[in-house]
Amino acid sequence: MELFANLAHGFAVAFSPINLLMCLVGALVGTLVGVLPGIGTIATVAMLLPITFGLPPVGALIMLAGIYYGAQYGGSTTSILVNIPGEATSVVTALDGHQMAKQGRAGPALAIAAIGSFFAGCVATVLIAVLGAPLTKLALAFGPAEYFSLMVLGLIFAVVLAKGSVLKAIAMIVFGLLLSMVGSDIETGASRMAFNIPELADGLGFATVAMGVFGFAEIIRNLDHGAEMNRNLVQQKITGLMPTRKDIADSTPAILRGTVLGSILGILPGGGAVIASFAAYTLEKKLAKNPSRFGRGAIEGVAAPESANNAAAQTSFIPLLTLGIPPNAVMALMVGAMTIHGIVPGPQVMQKQPDLVWGMIASMWIGNLMLIIINLPLVGIWVRLLRVPYRLMFPSIVVFCAIGIYSVNNAPVDVVLAGVFGLVGYWLIKHDFEPAPLLLGMVLGPLMEENLRRALLISRGDWSVFVSRPLSAVLLAIAAGLLVLAVLPTLRAKRDEVFVESEG
Amino acid sequence: MSDTPSEAPVKSILPKWVRGPQDFVGGLAMMAVALFALWASSDLQGMHGFSFGAGTAPRMFAVLLLLLGGGVALMGVLQAGPHIAAYSWRGPLFVSAAIVFFALAIRPLGLVVSAFAAFMIAAMGSQETKLVEAVIVGACLTLGCALLFPYVLGLPMPMFPRFLIQ
Repeated sequence: MELFANLAHGFAVAFSPINLLMCLVGALVGTLVGVLPGIGTIATVAMLLPITFGLPPVGALIMLAGIYYGAQYGGSTTSILVNIPGEATSVVTALDGHQMAKQGRAGPALAIAAIGSFFAGCVATVLIAVLGAPLTKLALAFGPAEYFSLMVLGLIFAVVLAKGSVLKAIAMIVFGLLLSMVGSDIETGASRMAFNIPELADGLGFATVAMGVFGFAEIIRNLDHGAEMNRNLVQQKITGLMPTRKDIADSTPAILRGTVLGSILGILPGGGAVIASFAAYTLEKKLAKNPSRFGRGAIEGVAAPESANNAAAQTSFIPLLTLGIPPNAVMALMVGAMTIHGIVPGPQVMQKQPDLVWGMIASMWIGNLMLIIINLPLVGIWVRLLRVPYRLMFPSIVVFCAIGIYSVNNAPVDVVLAGVFGLVGYWLIKHDFEPAPLLLGMVLGPLMEENLRRALLISRGDWSVFVSRPLSAVLLAIAAGLLVLAVLPTLRAKRDEVFVESEG
Repeated sequence: MSDTPSEAPVKSILPKWVRGPQDFVGGLAMMAVALFALWASSDLQGMHGFSFGAGTAPRMFAVLLLLLGGGVALMGVLQAGPHIAAYSWRGPLFVSAAIVFFALAIRPLGLVVSAFAAFMIAAMGSQETKLVEAVIVGACLTLGCALLFPYVLGLPMPMFPRFLIQ
């Protein structure tokens, strides 16, 4: 079996001391970020990109991946204990998880969240290993037209699954595409929209923009409400981690359903962990015999979304590793990390860099195991961290981000640009524009332009190439269908309903 | 994201027929970005034959954004929507000031001075900042960064003001 040989190879790579350490560091930093509200995964990964310069590529990616799934764990801990979701992915976990904590059942809630996440993580790891090879073969059948259509589909998915206005989300994507055009043209080398500023000749740094719209903008926005957030900690001691037999019986099917749903939504471009947790919660509520239990401490309401977000966080690596297309903003940053280390993501990575791919896959499983072992005993420490007041945290984040951006190119202009994008991001939030599609557009922009140009060159300027090639036509048809569905009033109402749950 | 105030309508400079000021202004701003991009890429080469020039794709996406921005603005006219959210000045001002100061100071003054000063400037962005506490945390953070970036991570960076070293 090739699969087992590959996995064995991966584990051999991942078990080297340096990679184990990277995995642990990633998982811990991820948990920390997940616990602290006001600092998100995207900003952290952007902030830590420069730090990975000095590391070997495998170790760097293992650490960044660890941050991503570690944050899913950390977010659930604070959701349950103090009703503050550290991450958007655990907003729904707070609904039932915190109710359980109030009833003195914080222990079982934490345990089920951890077990569900671990189980989902294991399944997702196997899934990546199984689907990796066939999808890579499929990718080889892709020409430029198919690639372009696939990216269109991915962006449309991002729009449909984003909350708020479809029109505004598309506008954000196109804004991102335009931003990606700044700098030298790939084919002619002509300088585009750079206004003779030498620092812009290479294009806008992706980490710079990400740190601006996600890091700085978020901080400025949080300051609007006053730095002191309302934090009423659950003070009582956590007793008895073990769930009862009934808890396990109740949550097993929920974990299974959450895992399946999360895995599927993770693979789809534009999906990701946030959507997966919302969808899993909604599904459980629909399937439940007695839906009124939800919101009052139903253990399924913890098990399903926690499994789903962890599964999705991991399966979203599949399109990145096989097709070279990042399905969400964090994966887009992973592309940035790979590029820094001279690795071009895409089907060839699997063949040329087996160490990297399989090592990372194996490290995910190890990381999940580490998380379940370190997290439950450390719960007390994480909760204590929440008492660090925001008035001290935010200037630290500002300074840390500034140093981080500066160190990428040793360019002070980059720091100023990030500040400008911070203000742009603040304005976008005030006008209810979502920044995530902007980032996705910015990452996919160069890839899209390149494939569009190539496809039209091959077809001698005939635009019908996108519909005359069957694979491309199918992808575009799905995209068009999704867009129509998203604009239909009945489905819109349903979609909004899913998001309203989070505010309840 | 519920930054939109729901209180009684603030005095608006926009005409009455604008029913969703937030979308209306947002759409107009997107159109402005698109027009700016069109102007900025106007000097680039367009299509020649059936191959793209350097300016083809930027202009294509700019036109698309112009249309989408127009659509958003139109929605702001047709559909009742939220008012423009209130902006606060303190947070944005001090956080931006800290960032700009850091960018200007890092080369001549080095990491230690610029990181600490940037921390203090940013801290002023909130009314709840206590001076002594901020100084202590700022100093610790500066020390931590001064050890982390150049030594642990091996990223070259000036540490102290230039005039002190020379």
